[in-house]
Amino acid sequence: MPDNRNNPAENTAAPSILEIRRLQKAFDSTSVLKDISLSVERGNVISIIGPSGSGKSTLLRCASFLETADGGDILYDGQYAVKDGVYASKAELNRFRTRFGLVFQNFQLFPHYSVLKNVSEAPILHGENRDEVRNRAMELLKKMGLEGKENAYPYQLSGGQQQRVAIARALCMRPEVMYFDEPTSALDPELTGEVLKVIRQLADEKMTMVVVTHEMPFAKAVSNRVIFMDGGVIVEQGDPIAVFENPQEERTRQFLRVFER
Amino acid sequence: MSLMTMILKMSEGLSKTCAIFFLTLLFSLPLGMIVALLRMSRIKVVSAVTRFIINVLRGTPLMLQLLAVTYGPYYLFGVTVARNKLIPVVIAFSINYAAYFAEIYRGGIESIPIGQYEAAEVLGYSKLQTFMRIILPQVIKRIMPSVTNEVVTLVKDTSLAFTVSYQEMFTIGKQIANSQTSFMPFLVAGAFYYIFNVIVDWVMGRIEKRLDYYR
Repeated sequence: MPDNRNNPAENTAAPSILEIRRLQKAFDSTSVLKDISLSVERGNVISIIGPSGSGKSTLLRCASFLETADGGDILYDGQYAVKDGVYASKAELNRFRTRFGLVFQNFQLFPHYSVLKNVSEAPILHGENRDEVRNRAMELLKKMGLEGKENAYPYQLSGGQQQRVAIARALCMRPEVMYFDEPTSALDPELTGEVLKVIRQLADEKMTMVVVTHEMPFAKAVSNRVIFMDGGVIVEQGDPIAVFENPQEERTRQFLRVFER
Repeated sequence: MSLMTMILKMSEGLSKTCAIFFLTLLFSLPLGMIVALLRMSRIKVVSAVTRFIINVLRGTPLMLQLLAVTYGPYYLFGVTVARNKLIPVVIAFSINYAAYFAEIYRGGIESIPIGQYEAAEVLGYSKLQTFMRIILPQVIKRIMPSVTNEVVTLVKDTSLAFTVSYQEMFTIGKQIANSQTSFMPFLVAGAFYYIFNVIVDWVMGRIEKRLDYYR
């Protein structure tokens, strides 16, 4: 098995917000993640690209505890959430959960809640002051270009608007890192732009993000690092210009060729 | 006997018909949720046993269950049959309807996309908060048409209480029909049930409309 640890653990002062080491995951007997290691430094935007079935979504879902890894470590800010495939206690995992936000491919807004309630309910349930949270939610909605939509219900919004509500909902938890799982894949082509725009805006504000995407120009423009995954391994990673314009691996070249034209 | 006296006599039993109806709903609606959750339990024995009980309750006549609950204790343990038949009648109805409601709830709960649970989990909702705030409200909206169906059926099923001679409206009607050798009481009973269900339909329609604010 090739060693994919292109990113040895850094021993600098500030630990990475997320560090994954030798992560393994199999569904039944199919190995989906084979020894994945990566670290996400604060303020960085990392794009994960690759063909479908390459394990990129599973990687994000493991990092957000929606899938249970079979082996390896997951560390947030230098603290073990998963050590050698053994998960921390439920209470500890809940504390780790406050560190990240996740945006799903198909939004997963709560259809029976207004936009404002979708965005603001979770922090309020966690004991934050209701008015403070609502103000924050309103500001986030404004930032997402959704001013005046706070009382609408999800079904009254376009896909692009719904996804921007979902981003606001995740941000309202004040996460340290945002995960995007193919945020534009369920959208009509004319609506992807508005969603990519707000993600780009977050990148400009130095929000730490991991984005699984098929939007190559976006990945190239926004990321600090691009990771190409295939068959459950990280085939290649590095500077976006280098990966896109001068890929070292044949599999990367093959994959990127499809997007040229 | 004039038609008017007939109607008056039968409407005296109407309060008992209503008692069966409302008490059955009161007990079977929540009981059905408990049964549904047991049915979906991850513990195999629990879900298998629950499934078996549901199948027995749905696969045998309600009339038989009524007789079993009312007279079973006497034949099995020699316990005297309760003077007030309302208790065994409501027990039998509640258990039977809980089985039907449980399957409706289960269908509703299973129709909610897993993504809704995942979104709530990532946002730090507890299991209970997720169920009460995110899942259940959506389930209720989705199952309303099926629940309405069951409630309409329940109105008509209350007439089965005649098998244990509980003096509800239909039982009285049947007695009048026998003593007067008249078909009229059955027509009156039919009219009563129909009007009852018109009201049920209206009420359920109102509830559905109130849940119509989202899709």
